[in-house]
Amino acid sequence: MSLSMTTLSIIGVLGLIGIGLYALLAAQHMIKVIIALQILAKGAILAFVAAGQANGHVSLGQSMALTIVVADTIVAVVGLSLAVQARRYIGSMNIRSLSNLKR
Amino acid sequence: MDVNTLFLWLLILPFAGAMVTYLVGRVAVINKVKDNPARWLAFFVFLGVDYIFILLAQQFLSSGPIDLTVGTVALQFDGISLVLGGSALLLGTLSSLFSVDYIAGDTGEEKFYAMIIAMMGAVVGLSCANDLFNLWVWFETMAITSYMLVAFYSTQPGALEAGVKYLVQSATGSILVMIGIAFVFLVTGETNLDILQKTTAPASILLAAGALFIIGFGVKAALVPMHTWLPDAHSQAPSGVSALLSGIVIEAGLVAMMKALGALAHVSLSWGVILLLFGAVNMTYGNLMALRQNQVKRLLAFSSLSHVGYMLIGFGVAIQFSILNGAAGGFFHLLTHTMMKGLAFLAAGAMLYALYISKQKHGPLMLEDLNGASRKYPMAALGLSVAVLGLGGLPPLAGFMSKWQIFVAGFETQNTWVILLVVYAALNSVLSLGYYAPMVNRMYRLEPSATVSEGKELGFVIQIPLVILTSAIVAIGLWPSAVSFITTPAAAALLKAFGG
Amino acid sequence: MASTLLLLTIGIPWAGAVIIWLIGDEYQKLLHGIAVAFSVAAGVAALMLIPYATGTPIISVDTGPVFGVFTFAPDGLGVFLAAVATVIGSLAVIFSVDYMKGEDQIARYYAFVLFFIGSMAGLVMTTNLLLVFVFWEITALCSYALISFHNDDPKAVAGGMKALIITQFGGVGLLLGALLIHSYLGSYELNDLLARWNDIPAGVLSVAAFGFLAAAAAKSAQFPFQTWLPDAMEAPTPISALIHAATMVNAGVYLLARFYPAFCNVPGWKTAVVIVGVFSALLAAIMAVVATDLKRVLAYSTVSQLGYMVYAVGTGGIFASQFHLFSHSVFKALLFLGAGAVIHAAGTRDMREMGGLGKKMPVVRNVFILGSLALAGLPIMNGFWSKELVLESGLAGGPMWAYIAMLIGAGITAFYTFRCVYLVFYGEPRKELHVHDAGPFMKTALIPLAALSLVTWLAAGPFSLLLKNTLPYHELEAVSTMFVVEEVLKAPATWIAMVVIALGLIAWWQRDKLTGLGKSLKGLGDIAADSFGFEAINRGVVAGVQSTAESLRATQTGVLNWNVASILIGLIVVMVILVMGA
Repeated sequence: MSLSMTTLSIIGVLGLIGIGLYALLAAQHMIKVIIALQILAKGAILAFVAAGQANGHVSLGQSMALTIVVADTIVAVVGLSLAVQARRYIGSMNIRSLSNLKR
Repeated sequence: MDVNTLFLWLLILPFAGAMVTYLVGRVAVINKVKDNPARWLAFFVFLGVDYIFILLAQQFLSSGPIDLTVGTVALQFDGISLVLGGSALLLGTLSSLFSVDYIAGDTGEEKFYAMIIAMMGAVVGLSCANDLFNLWVWFETMAITSYMLVAFYSTQPGALEAGVKYLVQSATGSILVMIGIAFVFLVTGETNLDILQKTTAPASILLAAGALFIIGFGVKAALVPMHTWLPDAHSQAPSGVSALLSGIVIEAGLVAMMKALGALAHVSLSWGVILLLFGAVNMTYGNLMALRQNQVKRLLAFSSLSHVGYMLIGFGVAIQFSILNGAAGGFFHLLTHTMMKGLAFLAAGAMLYALYISKQKHGPLMLEDLNGASRKYPMAALGLSVAVLGLGGLPPLAGFMSKWQIFVAGFETQNTWVILLVVYAALNSVLSLGYYAPMVNRMYRLEPSATVSEGKELGFVIQIPLVILTSAIVAIGLWPSAVSFITTPAAAALLKAFGG
Repeated sequence: MASTLLLLTIGIPWAGAVIIWLIGDEYQKLLHGIAVAFSVAAGVAALMLIPYATGTPIISVDTGPVFGVFTFAPDGLGVFLAAVATVIGSLAVIFSVDYMKGEDQIARYYAFVLFFIGSMAGLVMTTNLLLVFVFWEITALCSYALISFHNDDPKAVAGGMKALIITQFGGVGLLLGALLIHSYLGSYELNDLLARWNDIPAGVLSVAAFGFLAAAAAKSAQFPFQTWLPDAMEAPTPISALIHAATMVNAGVYLLARFYPAFCNVPGWKTAVVIVGVFSALLAAIMAVVATDLKRVLAYSTVSQLGYMVYAVGTGGIFASQFHLFSHSVFKALLFLGAGAVIHAAGTRDMREMGGLGKKMPVVRNVFILGSLALAGLPIMNGFWSKELVLESGLAGGPMWAYIAMLIGAGITAFYTFRCVYLVFYGEPRKELHVHDAGPFMKTALIPLAALSLVTWLAAGPFSLLLKNTLPYHELEAVSTMFVVEEVLKAPATWIAMVVIALGLIAWWQRDKLTGLGKSLKGLGDIAADSFGFEAINRGVVAGVQSTAESLRATQTGVLNWNVASILIGLIVVMVILVMGA
């Protein structure tokens, strides 16, 4: 018995998204949070590639996946720069110490 | 110039202009030029985009939607573009004018001007997108620029914290949207909205896609309980940006949601019901949270939640019952909310500037700081009063009329539940006066607060946007059908997407 | 010509408001002058409009299906109330020249007064339900702004907020009714409703009818919304006279009278109106007996007298209610302005600190007594004729118990009126007060009002003709003044009422002998002082909302993980709803 490509991709997508969401809920360190976002985004990228594969629009799926790569890299860059600033001016990268704005 | 070229310029010019503004500003910073020319350049770029937009709008009004295809990407200038793009450019122009004084001299001011142009350019693009994936691209562009603008005061802990929270939550929502698009793409092999509206592939996976769209875009549109980033981001951003975030960006999220859901209209019959439920929750939650705030900008941010609620009711009624007035009312409220909330944040920002920013202080503007502000800052106080009373739905101000149109639509359904919901919405307006009215009282006190008596004078330029918006709010309140030529086509476009 | 006059009646005060706002506070004398000039001009325009009265709209601007046709018609009800609003408005403005002399932020004061006068004229002359609601809310806004005119005083702010929230709360009823009518008739036109109310399903019409009743009760400070009016007395006294006695509070009665032909067939509606009227009249009269604040006494008496008008509408006496409204506007404005002169001079509103002021301010005393006679309903003041008409219509068209209750109310009215006059102007001075008689502008406002309260009843004939000719749906009869006089004098009801009023007076005269009774009623007095528990309900609602809001703030945790969790919760909820719905 061999796993089909589609089944594998679905497992991959769901796995990545699951890990990403769990990490977002559990992570305390800002870098970890950004990595979690990255994992989530990778799930979405895989979803596009797999979807294109499944319905025959391979190139369309891949081009969209590439666009997402660009976008999510920019998000990561901005996020990391904010993390650096936070380290510099707040003195911590723990998101628990970034919870002064509330109520 | 033919229409297609004009359309292309509408999309390119903001980004080209943003780059030029940044470069000019950067050079000026390096050469230590005293008055950075980027301040005014941004304003003129906006005027240029406005001009192109007006030409296109005239074309649209006389001969219908304008289509443009770039490669495989489909764009369409329709009624929705007119409302959302028009609101974005109006408030963007005024906000850039406002920020000339406000931001002047801050580190990184050249980035600020470039970013607000790019952000509004992205909103205009979003409003024209006729392709699901392209919609997401514009949406993400808008989001990324707004992250940087929220954290503009990048040495202030508050701004950094708000920026981080906003980035993480918004990016999460954005990824949910992406997955939703992937689902749609998987089942239909298509992303073009026009074609998607015609395909009738009933599949439970599309139901999941719809839920992902509602939640994903809902983060940006500040649907409760996905709203948690909003009060932080709106209160910590520079006031010109707060105005744009509250007046444009959350509405852009809502419009994007409508566009995306339109592609899935046939999948479920309960999209409208879900919007109505969110509307009811948003109104009450926003109002109750705003009731006990003591920072002006945070209060205004929470009140945005309740106003999204009104728009949701308009759109929900339109989608569920195919009532044109619902959509028209929703778009009308979008437009008036842009003006009123924009004015509220700009006016509060003007006072924040005079009392804190111009003295290199970064404190929140507290309600107590408004005491007796009317004597020293008559225009800012009047503007803030008109804005919040309009938001509270008092005639003859614009906010009353747009709410009225939404209410009319609700009653047109002649459905008891919807009518009860509308009455509930009206009671919520009364509740909102519980925090708007005391704010107005404060400003017209005789005894100024300590901060006000030490505040600096306001310049001339910073007050121009306040005058324009105040007059517009009163004018629309007195003559509500003045903008129906904009809201009716937008409503027609929305109903068309939902097969109405 | 008529349309120009109508626009001028609304437009002149509004233009004045804008001009005054733009001039600002620096030129006090100029502001007084402009305010007087514009308000008097508006009054003249409204009076000149009376001969042109007609029931058909003379201005109509089509704004499309959503907002309807903006129409204005100076019919009998409208033009009469517009005249009352502008004329009494101009007298209140003239009075203010003395009263507000030297106050800060006078521009804001006059701007809102003028804005109010124009809006009130608009409210009564428009025949579009949307515009009725718009003007309804604008008058509430002005009322709020003027009650809390002294923004530094927390009591004034609280009073303004209370008035705003309660009237807005009731206003939701008007919104509900107006939108229901629009959704079934496709029109906001008042006359469409009066002509085609039969096309609306009975259940829907009854919701609309009771919605309007709630709005009217809130606006006119009727039971169970009466609590805001006494607190509104924090306003400068000319405002109390104009807005909270002579004009805005009448809007509720106006609304009921205006829509009477459409709603009178709704089961239970007339009874409900009568109940609202009777309860307001009686409860407020009792509260007036125990109040010690001069303005609050007058406020309670306003609620009580408005109760008489509401009662009259409920018993079908449209003409009687409007006629009493007319009389009441005049004599209550007079009483309030007189009280304003007293308060301005004495520097206190507490009647326990006054006493014996009559000798020091004879003019004020004389006009105040004239107003009091009218309020008590003694001949030949205007209040006598109109109150008798109200009672007669109640006897003819209402239940007996209500009539008896209203008779008792008339007796209590006489009692508290004379208590008030005595405490202020007679007896021994209870405190050393350096008072002076009213200033020239005050007298200019007081004397015409005093004269009017002697003679307005002579206009009964022309007034009823005006109403009959321009209100085709109300099925009114035209009567001559002589007829009214005969009718009132002949009716046994009048004599019964006179006896009851006399009893009220005797009770005041013999109050020392009634102390036993007074003590036994002390409990009642305490309850009355707290507005029969309605104040407690108000406080409870406010406290409940505030504490809910405060505890809800815990949901904004500020922790990023929780924020992401709430996104996921939202996703799950939406998924569940969709699966269940599909």
